Amino acid sequence: MLRLSLISNMVLALIASLASAQESPYFVTYNHHMEEPGNLEVAINPVFGVPKQGNRAVASYLELEYGATGWWTTALYLDGQSTSRESSGFTGYRLENRFRLLMKEHRINPVLYVEFADVNGADKISKEIVGFDGWRDFIEPVAESRHEKKREIETKLILSNNTRGWNFAGNLIAERHLNAPPWEFGYALATSRPLALAATASECRFCRENITLGLELYGGLGEEGHVTLHETSHYIAPTIALGLLNGTTLRVSPGWGLTGNSNRAFVRIGVSYEGRLFR
Amino acid sequence: MKRAALLLLILASTCRTAQQSNPYTGQTEAVMAGAKLYRAHCASCHGAAAEGHETAPSLKTPRVHDRSDTALFSFLTNGDLKGGMPSWSRLPDERRWQIVAYLRSL
Repeated sequence: MLRLSLISNMVLALIASLASAQESPYFVTYNHHMEEPGNLEVAINPVFGVPKQGNRAVASYLELEYGATGWWTTALYLDGQSTSRESSGFTGYRLENRFRLLMKEHRINPVLYVEFADVNGADKISKEIVGFDGWRDFIEPVAESRHEKKREIETKLILSNNTRGWNFAGNLIAERHLNAPPWEFGYALATSRPLALAATASECRFCRENITLGLELYGGLGEEGHVTLHETSHYIAPTIALGLLNGTTLRVSPGWGLTGNSNRAFVRIGVSYEGRLFR
Repeated sequence: MKRAALLLLILASTCRTAQQSNPYTGQTEAVMAGAKLYRAHCASCHGAAAEGHETAPSLKTPRVHDRSDTALFSFLTNGDLKGGMPSWSRLPDERRWQIVAYLRSL
């Protein structure tokens, strides 16, 4: 089943690359760049998890992101997972909205993020790490964890800056179950830069201007009444984005756990296609 | 003292304006690169020949041509988020100047 999921993800990636804007290379961190108004981005993002114990898993999410206005971006995520020697299936959905708070570029550009998630305990996309999330969350058998309902609200304060071709972004995350406190906290930090700042006159596919390198650092910060780094998990993840032709971007990011409570590693892959929904 | 400070302020603002002039003025390669960037990022709204669409205006009008390079660069950077024009700050400064060079060539 794991192999089937892998193959289907690769086929989807190929289809998207044939259809063909260079996006941010980040998988976890958000910056202040919004979806262009009227544009729809379709992305498939498989995440390969390597836990310290238990079975390897591939989680994946289909992302449909729409630029409602220049300052408001909305997105729907459909999550699924496949765990080796266990089972595969749909694990839930997420509705996300991002609101840019200032209408002009400033030294620091704040964006407010609000997400509602209705997922089950087998969801393993790890799109953000909060509270005391750790490797033990991944070893619970899917047959049991899928019965656990998680209806969550998640908020982020996104701060982002562009300087001399570099992007610097920081996210402060607060998340809680709708009917079960406490608030859990997390963070994500990232920086990125294209390999070449100016464009060349000729069309090119694998040239430096189309490649962006970045680095992400993210993890949990404990919970309400117990904000701490102790027993939390943290990850460091270099990332690369390759802008292909006609609006397709390929992103890859291997990430490694930095603390004893972290998973050993994640490998994230993303293929996105962006185009105008309405002419 | 006040006059000296004022002079310094004017000088500083002049220097800033000078730094903001298009570094690609008169460079054919930059115009071609700007055309490529235009096709990738702008043509879907403003049209392949910058003639405009229902959703976005023509870029071949005096309203655009009468603006300074700096004003065009600033507009590309900030956009008009309430009016539907996105911010292109995601593109490095160099690429936005290349787009300005292309717009000047229209």
